[in-house]
Amino acid sequence: MAALRGLRSALDFTYLAAGVLASLCLIAILVLIVLQMLARWIGEVAPGIPEYAGYFMAAASFLAFANALNRGSHIRVSILLNAVPPHIARWIDVWCFAIGTAVMWYVVYYGWRFVNFSIMINDISQGQDRTPLWIPQSFMLLGAVIMAIALTDHLIHLLFDGKHRIQRDLVDQSFGE
Amino acid sequence: APATAEKWDMPMAYSASNFHSATGAEFAKCVTTGTGGEIEIVTHPSGSLFPGAQIKRAIQTGQVPIGERLLSGHQNENALFGFDSVPFLATSFDDSAKLWEAAKEPMTELLASQNLTLLYSVPWPPQGLYFKNEVTSVADMEGIKFRSYNNATSRLAELTGMLPVTIEAAEISQAFATGVADAMVSSGSTGYDRKVWESLNYFYEVDAWLPRNYVMVNSQTWEGVSEANQNVIRGCAELAEYAGNWRSKEYTSFTLQGLRDGGMTVGPASEQMVNELKEIGVTMTDEWLESAGEQGAAIVEAFKAMQ
Amino acid sequence: MEDFSIIILFLFVLFLLLGTGVWVGLALMGVAWVGMELFTTRPVGDVMLTTIWSASSSWTLTALPLFIWMGEILYRTRLSEDMFKGLSPWMAALPGGLVHTNIVGCTVFAAVSGSSAATLTTVGKMSIPELRRREYPERMIIGTLAGAATLGLMIPPSLTLIVYGVTINESISKLFFAGVLPGLVLASMFMAYVAISSRLSKSWNPTPEPPMSLSERVANSRFLIPVFLLISVVIGSMYLGFATATEAAAFGVIGGLVLAASQGSLNWKTFTESLMGATRTSAMIALILAGAAFLSLSMGFTGLPRGLADLIAQWELTRFELLMVLLLFYIILGMFLDGISSVVLTMAVVEPMVREAGIDLIWFGIFIVVVVEMAQITPPIGFNLFVLQGMTSHEMGFIARAAFPMFLIMVLMVFVLIVFPELATWLPDNIRQGPG
Ligand code: NA
Ligand code: NA
Repeated sequence: MAALRGLRSALDFTYLAAGVLASLCLIAILVLIVLQMLARWIGEVAPGIPEYAGYFMAAASFLAFANALNRGSHIRVSILLNAVPPHIARWIDVWCFAIGTAVMWYVVYYGWRFVNFSIMINDISQGQDRTPLWIPQSFMLLGAVIMAIALTDHLIHLLFDGKHRIQRDLVDQSFGE
Repeated sequence: APATAEKWDMPMAYSASNFHSATGAEFAKCVTTGTGGEIEIVTHPSGSLFPGAQIKRAIQTGQVPIGERLLSGHQNENALFGFDSVPFLATSFDDSAKLWEAAKEPMTELLASQNLTLLYSVPWPPQGLYFKNEVTSVADMEGIKFRSYNNATSRLAELTGMLPVTIEAAEISQAFATGVADAMVSSGSTGYDRKVWESLNYFYEVDAWLPRNYVMVNSQTWEGVSEANQNVIRGCAELAEYAGNWRSKEYTSFTLQGLRDGGMTVGPASEQMVNELKEIGVTMTDEWLESAGEQGAAIVEAFKAMQ
Repeated sequence: MEDFSIIILFLFVLFLLLGTGVWVGLALMGVAWVGMELFTTRPVGDVMLTTIWSASSSWTLTALPLFIWMGEILYRTRLSEDMFKGLSPWMAALPGGLVHTNIVGCTVFAAVSGSSAATLTTVGKMSIPELRRREYPERMIIGTLAGAATLGLMIPPSLTLIVYGVTINESISKLFFAGVLPGLVLASMFMAYVAISSRLSKSWNPTPEPPMSLSERVANSRFLIPVFLLISVVIGSMYLGFATATEAAAFGVIGGLVLAASQGSLNWKTFTESLMGATRTSAMIALILAGAAFLSLSMGFTGLPRGLADLIAQWELTRFELLMVLLLFYIILGMFLDGISSVVLTMAVVEPMVREAGIDLIWFGIFIVVVVEMAQITPPIGFNLFVLQGMTSHEMGFIARAAFPMFLIMVLMVFVLIVFPELATWLPDNIRQGPG
């Protein structure tokens, strides 16, 4: 039981930490763009900034996927889910989480191949940054892994507990009231 | 229909009306007809399948069997890919053809080591210098904001005393309209396509270099093609290379006239400027040779021997 | 015939996955996967990852989270209230009242943002709670917002026009100018609709604004100063050449933070909340964009969009008929594809058709923008519907129905453009110089 509780808090910490890391990537994008402007105004060169901003963009998106899922930010069409009785809705939810989990682990598997290809064929950024691309791509993969784990986590809960753990944040979701 | 019909999707980065895309479309038709439909090539221009930057990797890893890419974009990976973009090394269509002849073997080998089989290559129109204001010597360029998009163009800016400003291709027009940049190096066709005469006034035909597009096949796919069909494809590739070269020349004069009609002053640079730029070219060739090693040196040597 | 079966299959899988509630981005990936597995021999997984990486790591995309973040910051400041204090005295007098703040707000913000979603988030976050508080009909709030936010694509800067201009080799600055007047006309049509339907509606019963003298109204306009200051910093930076669109977005964030600080509403809590909120919202949009990019690629491999365009080309139509067919074609395509993808995928075939028919390509760019704007609000895949769903937790069907009148107005706009083509062509023809 203690092991399970440990796992639970480790997982929750991971989702949150990835989200925080993603938000730091957003700040990094802001800083990079400001640096680019400052460099231009004082006549200096800051090479590779668009590329770095792009890498941070990908990292920010993927690392935040799980956090966004847990907070109900990802969009879905819930007409059917709301229309059917709860016990059927549960099985539709199982189907959705199963599809989502499958798609995301598929992304993880091919993401792993993708990063390995980048190392193997020595794929280097074509911009002025000359970054070996496997480095920024690894953050995409890491985010995909965390998202896949989160979806699996919800699916298991749904199967054994009868409900997933998505908490729709009302302040986040609806800006009324 | 033939029993072994195969469909080859061919990603191309430039718009359907671009002459490279037109050449590619005719090459595709030639192969489809020539192989009696056993191999059907379908071109996807405008980066609608993969954007330019992804095309080489996509062919290498077998995601598509064939595609076209501006290989000098991959200089970071191997300096040899940049042989066609060394400023002021080969400054005419004839020189470009000679340089290509000198480079064909090492490039074919390099590509083969990356699981790529080269089919044909067509040069872009020569690169000239665009300026907002008149420039008659390198000294006039001091402090001008110059659009750069890779290390070589940044270095060119540095050596001419200009300020390199990184601007993505999609933002070119806006950047000139808003004065984020006041100069760039590019072919007449880029300026014509982007209608830069709305913001820029001078185009100097310095013919700095003629970058090339390359059409490549995945080597495994190539090995799987029957010898008869390989010969057909080779034949079509030769035709395409010839036709593409011709189109490139035609298009050069067409776009330069277009720039003139748009109100730009188009002409050769002053003798002083040409000489100063040639000197910068020597520096940049030396710098490129440092990173391109023996093979690079062999290309330049062979090229100079042909002069 | 093969095209037909591909269409049926795509539609079936799409409706199955989306309809049962699979998250949109993941559902698009699923549909694309099925399409590629069945109709091509390419290695699907590798192709998918190349596309997702390429779509996710794009520099031009970085403007999106920054504009969203700016919206989050503004949402957590007093600015939304202030904007209402400033705008409402003027709008309250109009028939339709404060719903006009939705449209005027979007029009103004569209001049800073190149995207419809960013316009929607920023303006919606300010206006939805304020309008709800005053008990305006929910359908009106949601519908006008969904429609007016699409002006983000028409009023410059515009990502759609940049993509279109690059695809067909037309001047982007000309296209930008071409969007100005039609954008303002479309905004006026939205406002006219609001005015008329408020007079006709029996259930129209919002909380009336307290009466105000002219001098009070002018005095209240001081509340608009911060908003307009911010917007002029963002627009000014772009038009005076200090910054590109993405960089202007950074100005927006910094400007928003400075304003929040000066109002005393910036603290650790609001800062982190705005940041995490922006991170999640942009992740949500990024997942959909990644899925859409893969779906576009998959459709490109099957050749379906081109096959359809080829079919239309065979019919040999008059100019007007051609435009009507294209209108219908893009409306249908826009139900399932995002606007930028449908432009990129079809232009190769549509461009020669349009040129041959003697249609001005600058004008056609604005036509395309209007149909892409429609695509933003038509189900099942409409970006503004998704974003609004995220913001309001309304059902997709409700939002789509609320936005339907705006869709009809956009159809009307197409005819206005056909009858008065000068709306789009006069400004670019008469202004040769770039701004600034
Ligand atoms: Na806009
Ligand atoms: Na739609």
